[in-house]
Amino acid sequence: MLIKRSEARAGKQRLAAAYSGLSSGGLDRRAFLKQAGVTGLGLSALGAIPLTTVRPAKAGPTDFSTPVTRVKNICTHCSVGCTVTAEVQNGVWVGQEPTYASPINRGTHCAKGASVREVVHGERRVKYPMKLVNGQWQRMTWDAALGEIGEKLMAVRQASGPDSVFWLGSAKFSNEGSYLFRKFAAFWGTNNVDHQARICHSTTVAGVANTWGYGAQTNSYNDIRNAKTMIIMGGNPAEAHPVSLQHVLSGKEMNRANMIVIDPRFTRTAAHATEYMRIRPGTDIPIIWGMLWHIFENGWEDKEFIRQRVYGMDDVRAEVAKWNPQEVERVTGVPGAQLRKVAEMFATQKPSTLIWCMGATQKTVGTANVRAYSILLLATGNVGREGTGANIFRGHCNVQGATDFGLDVTSLPAYYGLDENAWRHWSRVWGVSYESMIARFDSKAMMETPGIPTTRYFDAVTMPVNAQTGLAQRDNFKAMMVFGHGGNTVTRMPEAVKGLEKLDLLVVADPHPTTFAVLSGRRDNTYLLPICTQFETNGSRTASNRSVQWGSQIVKPIFESKDDYEAMYRLAGAIDAAAQKRNMTFRMQAEVFKDLEIKDNAPTAESILREINRGAISTGYTGQSPERLKLHMQHQDKFDLVTLRAKDDAPAEIRGDFYGLPWPCWGKPEWRHPGTHVLYNTNLHVKEGGGTFRARFGVERNGVSLLADGSFSKGSELTDGYPEFTTAVMARLGWDAELTEEEKASIQRQGGTASWATDLSMGIIRVTMEHGVMAYGNAKARANAWNLPDPIPVHREPIYTPRTDLIAQYPTLSDRRGFRLPNIGQTVQNRAKDLAPNFPIILSSGRLVEYEGGGEETRSNRWLAELQQDMFIEINPRDAASRNIRDGAWVLVNGPEMPQGKAVKVKALVTERVGAGVAWMPFHFAGWFMQEDQRSKYPQGTDPIVLGESVNAVTTYGYDPVTFMQETKVTLCQIRAA
Amino acid sequence: MARMKFLLDSDRCIECNACVTACKNENEVPWGINRRRVVTLNDGKPGERSVSMACMHCTDAPCAAVCPVSCFYTTADAIVLHDKDLCIGCGYCFYACPFGAPQYPRIGNFGSRGKMDKCTYCAGGPQADNSEAEFIQYGANRIAEGKLPLCAEMCSTKALLAGDGEVIAQIYRERVQRRGYGAGAWGWRTAYRETVAI
Amino acid sequence: MKIRILALFAVLMMGAALPAFAQGTAREPSVADEMAIQSLLTGNPVHGRITIPDQRAANLIQPQGREWREFHNVTLAWVGGIAVVGMLAILTVFRMVRGRIPIEGGRSGRTIQRFNVFERGNHWMVASCFIILALSGLNLTFGRHVLLPLVGPVAFTEISHWGKMAHNFLAFPFTLGLVFMLLLWIKDNIPNGTDIRWLKAGGGLVGHGEPESGRFNAGQKGIFWITVLGGAAVAVSGYMLVFPFFFTDIQGMQLSHIVHSIIAVLMIAVMVAHIYIGTVGMDGAVEAMTTGQVDLNWAKQHHNLWVEEEMAKGRGAAPPASAKAAGAD
Repeated sequence: MLIKRSEARAGKQRLAAAYSGLSSGGLDRRAFLKQAGVTGLGLSALGAIPLTTVRPAKAGPTDFSTPVTRVKNICTHCSVGCTVTAEVQNGVWVGQEPTYASPINRGTHCAKGASVREVVHGERRVKYPMKLVNGQWQRMTWDAALGEIGEKLMAVRQASGPDSVFWLGSAKFSNEGSYLFRKFAAFWGTNNVDHQARICHSTTVAGVANTWGYGAQTNSYNDIRNAKTMIIMGGNPAEAHPVSLQHVLSGKEMNRANMIVIDPRFTRTAAHATEYMRIRPGTDIPIIWGMLWHIFENGWEDKEFIRQRVYGMDDVRAEVAKWNPQEVERVTGVPGAQLRKVAEMFATQKPSTLIWCMGATQKTVGTANVRAYSILLLATGNVGREGTGANIFRGHCNVQGATDFGLDVTSLPAYYGLDENAWRHWSRVWGVSYESMIARFDSKAMMETPGIPTTRYFDAVTMPVNAQTGLAQRDNFKAMMVFGHGGNTVTRMPEAVKGLEKLDLLVVADPHPTTFAVLSGRRDNTYLLPICTQFETNGSRTASNRSVQWGSQIVKPIFESKDDYEAMYRLAGAIDAAAQKRNMTFRMQAEVFKDLEIKDNAPTAESILREINRGAISTGYTGQSPERLKLHMQHQDKFDLVTLRAKDDAPAEIRGDFYGLPWPCWGKPEWRHPGTHVLYNTNLHVKEGGGTFRARFGVERNGVSLLADGSFSKGSELTDGYPEFTTAVMARLGWDAELTEEEKASIQRQGGTASWATDLSMGIIRVTMEHGVMAYGNAKARANAWNLPDPIPVHREPIYTPRTDLIAQYPTLSDRRGFRLPNIGQTVQNRAKDLAPNFPIILSSGRLVEYEGGGEETRSNRWLAELQQDMFIEINPRDAASRNIRDGAWVLVNGPEMPQGKAVKVKALVTERVGAGVAWMPFHFAGWFMQEDQRSKYPQGTDPIVLGESVNAVTTYGYDPVTFMQETKVTLCQIRAA
Repeated sequence: MARMKFLLDSDRCIECNACVTACKNENEVPWGINRRRVVTLNDGKPGERSVSMACMHCTDAPCAAVCPVSCFYTTADAIVLHDKDLCIGCGYCFYACPFGAPQYPRIGNFGSRGKMDKCTYCAGGPQADNSEAEFIQYGANRIAEGKLPLCAEMCSTKALLAGDGEVIAQIYRERVQRRGYGAGAWGWRTAYRETVAI
Repeated sequence: MKIRILALFAVLMMGAALPAFAQGTAREPSVADEMAIQSLLTGNPVHGRITIPDQRAANLIQPQGREWREFHNVTLAWVGGIAVVGMLAILTVFRMVRGRIPIEGGRSGRTIQRFNVFERGNHWMVASCFIILALSGLNLTFGRHVLLPLVGPVAFTEISHWGKMAHNFLAFPFTLGLVFMLLLWIKDNIPNGTDIRWLKAGGGLVGHGEPESGRFNAGQKGIFWITVLGGAAVAVSGYMLVFPFFFTDIQGMQLSHIVHSIIAVLMIAVMVAHIYIGTVGMDGAVEAMTTGQVDLNWAKQHHNLWVEEEMAKGRGAAPPASAKAAGAD
């Protein structure tokens, strides 16, 4: 044997010795290292590399004489919130180590998380600002770019008003960035500000918030370990949230839990299920009602829970009665016996949790779907306890936080809405007068009117202005500011191209050029601003389970990129300069950044978070001070894996906290509220993270009380339901006397009255918590949400359905208006009926583990791109055989709304993952558009490694009436061999 | 004496490919070289299982047995490594390897395929530990730093275990006993001529 | 084979389905062990789906590797060893028994053209290629046991590396030479009745009394066909290996290697005999491939029919340079 290495032997033997003494308990590297007497040193680094603009950040061998620093940040891909530990040497990110301390990922990653270091190599990132001049990309400086953009924005503002600029933010922002962007749009004077939540979970937020108060995951990934039965319906976490499967599979194994996957597609998640139910796409409500039919029929429902904590369940019973097993099978294709079995498990082997994702939400009935899911949980008493709940897996790394901070056309930060009270509250927080805010808008009416969502931005460019039949605002969109959003994630791309071409100004501020830069035939007035990733700046992000985690800057922004904070700060300055030139009094910078600490031309993340802490009272984003969050990151190992609670051996300043202070974390940071791991959990005191269903919808309706009946959180002095607290309710209970002088003075300054959510002193919350009472009230969850188009969810066939025979019985909602635009779903459905025979295959879409969102970032990552090199379509062997399609061959796919004669060209993946008559495509691809290769349109060196057709070139019309969520999961298509 | 092995629990593997990119990240493995890969068996059908596979560092390794130039060597931890300076790129190890582990930089080119590359168990090569030469030729040497292979450390569902054979077999055994099922330790019979008895 | 695959799927499905069946009741620990799968496999690779383009990687386990290893390390070593060493032994014995085969009646001093320049050139091209191919090939099988201990790993790798390069590149002239050989000599190598008589007579190697023979005797025809057909097989199987995965998959390549190496070692053994008899084993033989002129007596002894044919054609034997034409004086 040939062994040249002699000096290595010693090390190896040490290692071997360490192992021999290791108990069978597990592979704890900490213990292992201790025994081994080896301290982990970083590996692979470049030596001293000067910090030039274009810095090769390739890893090389470690120079052990240079110290390696470890920096923790959070993975920028999905919402699980895995901690990334970076090893930095000489300002270069040279290695990545597992973070065993994080209770969320415990050292692990998925393909994306394990390759994030490449993101900061940035081979294919936008390296400097650029603009399109007669179809050619030209390099420019930040100042010049912002100057021109400021000029053009002000020109649009002058000619068309503030509503003609669309501010498209991002779920990839930090909380601070999200908040700042929303605030920025407010000061610009428009509600046309949105982000990816529109196209992922807007219907969840609307549906769930309308049911029990907050639109968020009620429990956590970790808490799934407590479940005895879990249904994953309309989600494929094995690919979309791989690290969550660690908790799901642990739960499945430790509790021998039932893991039921309900999905049209046999996903990689389904491969690990104990029961898989294949349904026809778009029939979620019949499935849920079918399960409830068995539950009610057999008396498996939780009667006491319903009596105490649910309003309107009898109305649900009436609807459910229609869904007997025969009708369910006729509509969904699922046999009654299987449905009964699953229903029994879910209702009787408790605790049960329902996990869902975009399969539920991206539908024309998205809100209704989510409502039906929630009602199933309520009927079986599976909310507000460990192991239960609506475990909604959000999409991007900070989509929860970005939603919370109102990157949303319907609300100011923290779900305050857009009414006068909301504006007055935030004006107070921002230290500006309410009147000055009105003056920034076209009118007070526009200030209180929800804006135009991202699913329809191109309609707002092209549709004639007409308050009855067209666009209901002063003028069309003329300019679009895209901060961190792909252009291929929204349906009806052929229409989007027309919209983009008509814009006067398109600005893409992103680490990558994104599809927006190449999709249309624009030749001028298009700018690319290089924005750095969250790894290159500071800030907090909120994982799907509402835990807030602080990410620290790993390396300085690479190339000429800037972080979002600096870009916004300087853009505000550029706008001011342009306004000054026009002799307008309009100003941004001084006002938006008024109370923030400015360092190096940018507000600090910490100061923005402190402002959030002052204002975001309604969601309990007030206790998560930067200091507390940083302490949590520092002591991650002190939190329990299952309860997420800091253990007894934790330092005093975090002991008892839930990891990441999941909101609501009430009151001031110094009160040390631990955060809320499980929402609406009455088994805990409100000071300990307990809660009740929120009283958001009044106290009674038609003579029936909406308040909880004999249910209350632990230690509550009020042992029945109660409304949300205002100064008036406080006075009635005589609790107002317990407010401190300071708190009273603060309320006086606000005009003498306040609700718990607008009381800037937070005195109402403090006093109510002292009484064990929840300031937001104690109500019933609503099985009947009377303010929605379908108060009780009803089945409605997808707009493009192959079952045209069911349209008469289950039509989509009638045409209506919303968000300043018409929604002509029924007209389209009636037209689609006749097209259906030509498009016999249902087309659905979804995620791949290797890519994320629009995919520009991940398709530019060579480690990921290698794993998925071709856009494909999954076809059932039967459909493939009848079309003479071989596995791996090129096929042409066209949809009913594509231009005549056009098709997308993709590779066939012949598989039984999809049933006969169903096809599936991933949605991350772009760069080919209806067989046109657009690689040459990217600025040189920024084209992603892998390009492909976008599924959204094929997808069709269809919007949820409540949120204008797009329909991506059910449309029709035809496939033929290429 | 530790006997390092890999163990893949296919009831946990979800084909997330973290092991693959972790390997690429840690060792700067170039495009086209797949030291580790995930194969899905029974795709789309009930019983679908994914298996992450790389060099298993076999007992009585076939690659070493057939290598015409004897470039393989086994470390004290039973990690099977090779010396690229001795490799002539003949491809025999690929014929013999039951797991398809050996990779060649120039597959299909006439004449030479280049030096064989394979999983090193993050243990580098014959040069001095964590030297520049070692990193360039073989990648990281985590073992010398007292760490385990990054693929296993980062596995999203802890399906891929690495470490001393007895320790990881025990972890797997306990896991199977707790949950009541287990499809066996993939490749163990082939690689180590033993299996994990439950 | 299909049945085996189906059975494999059944096992895989059973493994997954068991927990589902046992749902609700206490689950019995069940182990669908890899062994069960392996025992069903007996030769079939475990094949799945993979996302990277390299579809070879979709082979999860290929048990044939083990058989190939057995072949390479054991079978081939024995076959090759026995063939080559055995042939050397036979030749030694033959030499001792028979000694060098002389020209009956001594050299006549007159020669006859046996091979022209092109034939000889081609022969030597093929021959030299073959020798290098053989040595470099044998080195891959035996070198680590024989040469490595002598020269050490670094030198041995250098030798093996150049050997491999030579092996890969010389394959082409070797093949080309074989094609020429085929075209040049096929007409004289078609077996006929003479060959049977020649063989019956033991080719004159055993016993005495040379049987009749044309341009090539049955033994030489055998060498010819072994060279052409064996060479073709070695070339084809070799190209499969030189262009990995271009023509075939891993199993095909293993099979190619088996064919290639077995035929090669057998050819080596045959060629050892050919070299012996063409050089030191027989007086007067080597000139055929050096000058191309063989002694007439040698030719008459071994290829009497051919000599007659040549004479009849008028392409008679050339007298020695010193001989004067009749009547010149």
